[in-house]
This record gives sequence, C-alpha cells and structure tokens, in this order.
Amino acid sequence: MFDAFPYDSWLTPDGALNEEIAEFWTYGGGGSTGTWILTVLGFAVMLVSFWGFVILENRKLTHQADRLKASGALDRPAAG
Amino acid sequence: MISSLLPAWLAQTPTVEEIETRVALDSAILAETFYFWTVVIMWLIHVGFMAYEGGAARRKNVMSTAMKNILTIAVVTPTFYYFGWYIYGCFQEGWPKSGHSSPDAFEGFCGASAPWSSAMGPNLQDHITGVFFLAFLLFSWTTGSIMSGAVIERIRLSAYLILTAILGSVVWIMDAAWGWSSGGWLVTQFGFHDAIASLVVHGVAGAFAFGVLLNLGPRIGKYTADGLSRSFRGHNTHLTLMGLMLIFTGFYGFYAACLVIQSTVFPGWLNIYLSPTTLGAIAWVITIGFAGGFTGGWFASKGDPFWTLSGGLAGVIAVSAGADVYHPSLAYLLSISGGMVAVWTGGYIEKKLRVDDAVGAVAVHGVCGFYGVLLVGIFAGGYPTGINNVESSFGGQLMGMMAFLPLAFLPGYVVSWILKKMNLLRVPPEVELEGLDLAEFGMDFYPEFERVPEIIVEPDGREVDGAPVLLDAYWQANGTSSTPVGTGERS
Repeated sequence: MFDAFPYDSWLTPDGALNEEIAEFWTYGGGGSTGTWILTVLGFAVMLVSFWGFVILENRKLTHQADRLKASGALDRPAAG
Repeated sequence: MISSLLPAWLAQTPTVEEIETRVALDSAILAETFYFWTVVIMWLIHVGFMAYEGGAARRKNVMSTAMKNILTIAVVTPTFYYFGWYIYGCFQEGWPKSGHSSPDAFEGFCGASAPWSSAMGPNLQDHITGVFFLAFLLFSWTTGSIMSGAVIERIRLSAYLILTAILGSVVWIMDAAWGWSSGGWLVTQFGFHDAIASLVVHGVAGAFAFGVLLNLGPRIGKYTADGLSRSFRGHNTHLTLMGLMLIFTGFYGFYAACLVIQSTVFPGWLNIYLSPTTLGAIAWVITIGFAGGFTGGWFASKGDPFWTLSGGLAGVIAVSAGADVYHPSLAYLLSISGGMVAVWTGGYIEKKLRVDDAVGAVAVHGVCGFYGVLLVGIFAGGYPTGINNVESSFGGQLMGMMAFLPLAFLPGYVVSWILKKMNLLRVPPEVELEGLDLAEFGMDFYPEFERVPEIIVEPDGREVDGAPVLLDAYWQANGTSSTPVGTGERS
C-alpha cells in the first residue's frame, strides 16, 4: 500500500524533503479546515471540562455537608 | 588497489553544502533531544510537589492535596496549548501591535504559536517547536504547583483548577512574554534580566497565590481568637522532605531548559534573552545555591527541618535571576541570604499578617523571586542583556518588579474574589472539619491504618488534641461559642 504513495515526487532535486511530505504527515496542515475543526472541538471540550469540574465537585460537597449537618456530629453540646 | 578506490571514495565525499545541511540537521536533533529530556527531568518537580504537599497535609486531606497536583496537568496543558503559547508568541511587545509578524527576535513566531499553525503539530521540518513548547508547559505546571501548596486543606478542587489555569496559561506566560523572551519590551527597553526565572515563574506564582490567600482565608482553627498562630502537624514529614529533594532534582532540568542550545555557534549556549552563556555556568550556581540556601534556612530557623529544605529552594530562587553571570562564591553568599529571607518573611506572613500559607510558598517563591531580581540590579548591573545588548540595571529590575507585581497579584485576588462571591472558592466548613478526602473521594488515604487523634500545636508550644479546638473554632465561626479551647491537652 505504501508503494502507492508518490515518494519520488516528494524529493527535491538536491534530495531534501519538500513541503509536500511535511504537509502529508501533519494532520490537515497549518490553517486547514481539519485543523480548525480539531482546534474548535478541543477548545470546546476544554471549556466543558471546567464546567464539569465545578458542577461535579459542588454536588459532592453539598451532599456531604448536608449529611454531616443532619447527623448532628458537629452540633454544639447543650449548655450545662 | 588504493588508486582504484580513490575515485569511488571521492565520488562519495559530500560537498560543503551537503555537510552544512547535515550539521544543521544534527544540531536541530541535538536541540530536540536536549529539550525532550529536560522535560522528563522536570516531571520530577511535580512528583516532588505532590509528595511535599501531601506530606504537609493532615491525613484527612492527603488525597485531595495530591489530586490537585495531578489535575494541574489536566487543565494547564490544554489551556496552555490553546491560548497560553499564543500569548507568549504574540504579546512580547506588550500588546501584539505587530500582528502575526512578530517582534525583534523571531519573525513570524506569533503566527506560529497559534494552535492551528503547522508548527503546533507533527511536522517533519520543525524539530524545535514541540519540545520548546513542552518545556514552557512544564514551567506553567510549576507555577500552578507553587500556588497549590499554599491553599491546601480548604480550597475547592475546581476553584484551584480554574485559578491554576489562569495562572499557568495567562498570567505567568504574559510576564514571560514581557520579561523572559528576547523580544519582550522589558528586555529590549530596560534590559530586564531574570535568566532562570526567579521572578517570572516563582515570584509571580507567589504573588498570585498571595492574592488568592487573602480571599480564601485561613484553615479552621489556624488562629486563636486573639489572632495567635497555631501549627497543624503535617501527616508525614518524611514524605515532605523527600518531595522537596525531588523538586531539587527536577530543578536541574528546569535550569537546563531555561537555556537555548545552539551547538554550531560559539559558545553553544544562549540564555533566554539570546545572550551567550554555558550550561556549566548555571550548573555552578544552582548547586552552590542549594548549599547556601540550606545553610541560611538552617540558621534562620534554628535547625527546623522543613525550613532548612525550603531554605535550599529559596536560596536557589534568590540566585536564579543572575545564574548565568554570578560567580559561585557570590551565589553562595546571596543564596544564604535567600534562605534566611524565606524563613523570616514566612514567619512574618503567618504570624503578623495572619495569612495562612500552608507551606510557606509566598515567602519561598514569591518573596525570594522578587528578591532575586533585585539582587541582579545590585550585583550584576551593567551586564548586557538580549540581542540589543541593553545593560541590566537596578532601575530596569525595579521596572520589571513593578510590572509583574500587579500583573500577578490582581488576577489572583480578583478571580478568587469572584469565586468567593459565587460560593465556589472554599469547601463547606463541615467538610473541612471532617476532611476533604471523604467528601471528594469517599475514601481515606490510608484505609488499613488505625486513625489517631489529630494534634494541634498551640501558640505557646503545647500539643493538644485537635478535635475540641477545631470544633470550637467552627462554632465560633457559626456565631456561638462553647467549650474552652485546649481541653484536650496531651500529657
């Protein structure tokens, strides 16, 4: 299958690799539609993860604080 | 025989141009390899911070403390990729007035730092960007880890993650663009010199942490009703000391990563401002800096183990700014003073300012970071800095300090204030009393070990059972007083 790739055309006359091969091995290339889509998706997931960190933790902490208050373990002893 | 081989050998002899191409590629591969391994070594800084802070935490908060360090990587890495590196590339003039044709040193660097550029992914023609980005990313994690220790045992994990993303991917990298790059306006205009990041990493993280601490407040029971400071016993001092030693080891990678390697041009190494130096020069300073810092910390704290090792860190931070130009003897003397400054200011922050910095991060990193940059103005004034050879000076160093103090402190204070108003900064007091690990993770860090009473050291040095003290502080905070403090005194 690899033989189907035009390796010969990727070589410049002096034998150096040209930009075409760099483009091929770089997903979508700089500024391409593929790169933009991946960037936007990644950025969105990053933002959602922050929201998730806050919501999930708040749920846990609220639950545990309510449970501790309800248990009476932290109540002040009655005077006398 | 030989005469018959000669033509074949000559035919294989590369031309000068081919040799130049191969040497350039070899040099690029050397640089790529070098930065890759500095990143590996710098991982130890984060292993160390986790152990250090985990040991300093009480048993009930060990897992939450460790998880904070681990998740620093989870949030700072993507934020730094998506906008942190772009800030470094584009804000060196203060504001990106040149657009994507970037300033002085590297034309086009601004555009290349955008996450959608061809440099920010696998690219056979670019050996440097990936590993250079990674080295800076590890610095970003470090700023988060510096703040992390100060706020343990009462901050929400999610609040910490938001704050550390802002610190690691906006604040520190903005100051790095201004004062830790060859094109930064503080460098090109004022000769600001902070070679191994005394201020741009440590000082800024410390100042940011101080702003957060003002809103976060002390741990329950940290101060008596009279405002005197109690001490909480960390659950494992051995772990803390080992963590500090790991941080020290990682610091060698940190130091090395602060240099630019250019193996085909004399002298082969440049500092971050592209002024010539050598790896050996900074190796002198970091090693003797630790020696001096330990010494200063030991004497200033009268032999306290925690502050002796923290003094080592403070000593190195105090000499990092001038590590490329200091003589080892000068570094030794200055690092001793750095170790002492950390101990004294740590005590002042805790006892006089009544700011509960659980590991002394503001003193060690913040104060000594600023102190280190000030020292360059005094002891290395006149050394040329950067590609324009602007002389470093006391005024230039002061300019950097005046720029970075508000840049660091204000975001820390303002964002934590907003989180506080949203009731998202601190865990509920009930959870803090019980310990964060049970609420956050439903588990004890040492499930097979018997629980023992928590010990608190009163301001007069008495060790007392912690439960009555903490409960009384909790009740007072909720508007009612109760049993006398200290009833659980140990015999």
